[in-house]
Order: sequence, then structure tokens, then C-alpha cells
Amino acid sequence: MFANFRQAMAWVHTWFGLVLGYVLMVAFFFGSLSVFDREIDRWAVPETRFAAQPMPSFDTVLKPVYDKLRAHPDDMAATALRVEGDIPHPDTLPLVSLYAYTTHRDPVLQIGGEFAIPNKPIDASDDHQHVHGWASIDPRSGAYLSEDKLQVGSDFFYPLHYGLHLHWKNLGYWIVGLAALIMLVALVTGVVMHRKLFKELFTFRPHKRTQRSVLDLHNLTGVVALPFHFFFAFTGLLIFAGIYFPLSQTALEPLAKQHEVLQAERTGLPHEPAGIAAPLASVDAMVAEAKRRWAARDMPGEVGYLYMDHLGDANGYVSIFRAGSDQVALVGQGVHFKASNGGVLREDPPLTPVFAVNEFLTGLHLQHFRHWLLRWLYVFGGLAGCVCIATGFVFFVEKRKRQMAGQSAMLVRWVDALAVTAVTGMLLATATMLVANRLLPEDMVGRGVWQERLFWYSWLAALAHAASRSAPVARGLMSPAWREQCWAYAALAVAAVLLNWLTTGDHLGKTLAASYWPVAGVDICLLLSAAVAVRSARLLRVREGVRAQALATTGHAPLDALEPARG
Amino acid sequence: MGEAVLLLLVAAICSFCAMAWFALAKPAHWRQVRRGTPLAHGTRRALQVAGSLALLLSLWLCLRADAPSMAALVWLMLLAVSAAAVAFTLSWRPHWLRLWWPGR
Repeated sequence: MFANFRQAMAWVHTWFGLVLGYVLMVAFFFGSLSVFDREIDRWAVPETRFAAQPMPSFDTVLKPVYDKLRAHPDDMAATALRVEGDIPHPDTLPLVSLYAYTTHRDPVLQIGGEFAIPNKPIDASDDHQHVHGWASIDPRSGAYLSEDKLQVGSDFFYPLHYGLHLHWKNLGYWIVGLAALIMLVALVTGVVMHRKLFKELFTFRPHKRTQRSVLDLHNLTGVVALPFHFFFAFTGLLIFAGIYFPLSQTALEPLAKQHEVLQAERTGLPHEPAGIAAPLASVDAMVAEAKRRWAARDMPGEVGYLYMDHLGDANGYVSIFRAGSDQVALVGQGVHFKASNGGVLREDPPLTPVFAVNEFLTGLHLQHFRHWLLRWLYVFGGLAGCVCIATGFVFFVEKRKRQMAGQSAMLVRWVDALAVTAVTGMLLATATMLVANRLLPEDMVGRGVWQERLFWYSWLAALAHAASRSAPVARGLMSPAWREQCWAYAALAVAAVLLNWLTTGDHLGKTLAASYWPVAGVDICLLLSAAVAVRSARLLRVREGVRAQALATTGHAPLDALEPARG
Repeated sequence: MGEAVLLLLVAAICSFCAMAWFALAKPAHWRQVRRGTPLAHGTRRALQVAGSLALLLSLWLCLRADAPSMAALVWLMLLAVSAAAVAFTLSWRPHWLRLWWPGR
């Protein structure tokens, strides 16, 4: 079938890359945005525009907050499908475990917990008899944040990055996982195909014809960020390894359960409740003791993760983990206390090498550390990935424009239309969502859901537009949709910045003067990207014109020689 | 904090220099920057050595600024940005790189 190994690799690279490239584009772009998810949240939820807060006092602030926490309607509905009979009213369900999580970038605190239910499972082997509740709160007052105030960064862009918001049977995770696997394949096959990896490492010739310069850019963005691409695809797979290889819930379930019990014995953290009611000692005192121990180990820090199990039971315990602001791992150095008297049950020993490597690999992807330079470098890596994929699409189309006839013309038109949708269409949808976030009335019911809907509708509109404007592609010309969507994006991005000013009064002059970077940063990025979009639209206009002219004078699709050099 | 910022800034500069010298050590880019002057064998060696040293210096500075696990990530990503920056400089402003090797 193939003359040599390299051709076989090229085939794999081209076709697998083409099919899953669209998914990878989403993963890379929204992954890049997720580097600053908390900052986008601040932009999108103006009442949370205040400084990051440490974990608040449990005894005075959080205790009453958890008293008000209820099982989430979404999880009530999902659990109802798994159990017999009706689940009792959420107000009557007892909270059995709880958590709170924060990082050095969070003004609001994420909290949640598990509520016990008396219902029997439909599937006897299903032993998860809980419904979950979760919320974001203002740690200064303990007030709950309305879910209609969608935190666009961490509640929408971030889950889109790893799950595509396809919840049915975790399909989104599987598709993104497959795409990540194909990404690894594309990296290996790409390196094999590339004849001059080192010789042309620094080569980008923007003045050559489109096909050549696009391939240069594809190689450049792929190769310089190769370690980034490799590690992020790999660690992304690793983070969800439990979903892709659910061994602890299938073949090895008895072993996994046994391990849990043995681990509880080894660590002294009870696996089961005792069934005897017990009060809760001061958690603030436990936090103070944990901090004292961290300081004694010469690594003072703040609480990142607080967890309590078997609430109100004599076997109850409190786990306090140090925020990983100064390390790659998310949290660590856990200290565990007996809930009823505050005595220390256990201080986690240093990690074994296997666990340390795992924490490093997942931590480097999830990045909860305090290192702004590395964050921006990650954005560069992510956007380099986007450019690499987008130029891959354009190269595919350009290469086939010269030998177009019949069926292949249709394929190429669709590839081009989908590429427009995946590149400029995705930007359009993102900007539309931000504009909707500022335009929808503050007290509107379903405000969050409507922001999401407008995101998807605008993306569909971008697809319809790209498909309807793709006819010139079949004649070897450039689709005007690229240019038109660049203009649309630029307009929406500027509109988002202006609307932020009009609706909140936080214009750039104010946010910059106050050094409030979360909002100033989002505004600046919107304006800069709008400027890039306008410049791109202008360059595209020139290239379109050149090709159309060549077509008019020669009467056939412009060949390479007819496209003059320009940048 | 201020010291770490300074260290990382110098690390970034070293990383860019390293990439610039590696690029100049390739005859095609050398000619691009030096308007067609051929690259002498000795100069090429010198460029490669300078590039390697700058690369190591950059790593050492990263290690001074952060814990080793973090420093390794910062260093790798700095190399990526620097390589891209050098490539774009060669595309649009190749003569700027003449400053990186004023000699023949």
C-alpha cells in the first residue's frame, strides 16, 4: 500500500490528524484559556472582583455555610436513576463528608460534600450511596454565589477543554482522550515525516507561497513546543487514567476495596463510621497545628484543601492539606486529626517516588502553582498547538487545491469550512459568550444556561456561514469566510471590552491604575486579539485579491508561480 | 521575589541568545543574516559552543530561581519561546541577529 515507512507515517499523520484535529483544536484553545480560568471568572462575575482570599475560619465562617449546603438538583436527578424508590427531600439528608478547595488565585471558595441516602441501589454492586452538593461561596461573608452567575472560565471553558460538555456516558472524556492519544501519534509520525527537523528548526518563510509558508509554520510550532505538546497530551491522559482504565471498578474491584480497607488500617484514618455520635472539636485549632507542623518542616504555607469524613461520628476525621502554591503538585503535606478531640491521627510522610512522579505529572498540567511566567509560557505552548493544528488544516486544503476535481472538491470545501469553524468560529463563539455575559439582564432566570446556549448557537452560525461561503475553495481560491469571521471576532471582542466598561464601570484605566490584573488582563487580551484579527483580515484580503486576479487573467486556478511573494 | 524575577529575566535572555547562536551556526541562516557571507568552519564551532554554554547558563539560572521541578518546566518552555522568537526574527528582521555575532 505504501512505498516506504515514511509514506505510511504521512498517511496516519494526515488522516488521523484531520479527523481528530478539530477536537484537538478545542482542547488546545480552551486549555490555553483555562490557564487563566479564575481570571476569566472575575471578568464574568463582577461581584467577585476582589482579592484572592485564604481558606476562611471553619469554626466561624464555614460551619454555618455547610449547614446551608444541600444536595445539588443535578446530582439528585442522576442518583434517582441508580436507586430504588424516591430519594427523601434534600433538607432531610445528612451531610456525611465535606471538602473546601482554594488556590492562591481564588477570591471565591469551592465547597461541596456528600449526603447519605437510605435508598437501595438498583445494581447491587453499586455501593456509592450518596448524593453530592457543591457551591461557590464568598469566604469573607459565607454568602453563596448564585449558579446563574456562570463562572465562565472554570465552569464552562475549563470543562469544555477536557470533556466537551458531552456528559452522556462520559463521551466527552473519551473523545478528548482519543484525541490526546492521536496527538501523541501525530507527534511521532510528524517527527518521522519531517526530513529536516534540526536543519529547519528556525525556518519560517512567510514570503513564499501559502502552501510552503503554512507548512513552515506547522513544523515550527510543532517542533519548538514539542516537549510541551508531548507532556500535555500525555499528562492529560494520565489525569483521566481512572476513566480510561476503570480497573478499580471492574476487573480489580475486590482488590481495590481490600486496598482501601488496608490503607485505612495503615494510616489510622477510619474507613467506616463507628455509628456513635460525636461532637466536632475546633477545626481552627487543627488548622493552626497543621500550619505549625508545616513551618517546623521549613515549608510554611496556607491551607489548600480541607476534607472531613464521617461527620458527627466518633470515627470522624479532618484532613488538612497544604496549598501547593510553591510546588508543582497541587496540594500536599497532609495532616489528619481526630474530629472529636482534635488529636493528630497522622502526618503524611514524604511521597514515594512513584507518587511523587504522578503528582508532578498531573500538577504540571493542572498548574495551581504560583508562577506567572510559567503560566504565560503555557499559554504560548497552547496557542502554538492551535497554530500547529490550524496550519495543518490549511496545508491539507492548499495541497489539494492544485489537483481538484469532482469528489475531492467537495471534501476540500468541507475541510476548509470546518477549519474556518474550528479556528475563527471558535473565537467568535467565545467572544459572543463574553458579550452575552455582559448583555443578559443580571437577574434573569437561567442567565448561565443562556450564556452557554449563545456560545453554541454562535458557533453553529459560524459553521453555516463558513459552509455557505466555501464555493471559491473549489476553484482554488480562498474562502472569504476566514476574513469575514476575523472582522466579526474583532468587533465582538471590542464590544465585550466596551460592555464590561458600561456595565461595571471597570474600564482599563481604572483596573490598570488599581493593578487589578484579572480584569485588566482579560480586557487587554481581548483588545490585542482584536488587533491581530484585523491585521489578519487585511492580509487575507490581499491574498484573496491576488489569487482572484490570477484566475481572471489566466482562466484557470492559479498555480504556485502565479502567487507572488508577500508577507 | 524580586531576585527570582531578575534571575528568570536573565535566564530568558540567555535562552534567546542560545537559540540565536544555534540558528547562526546553520549556514543558511548565517547567510540570511550576513547577506551571503559564507560561514567559516571555526565560526560555526564557536557558535555551537556559545549556544550550548548559554543553554546551560539559562538552566542554571532557572534552578537558582525556582525549585528544580518547577525550574525544569520553566527552562523547557523558555527554550520553546526563544526558538520561535529567533525563527520570527529571521523571517522579518534577520539583520537584527548580526548584533549577536559582530565578527566575521
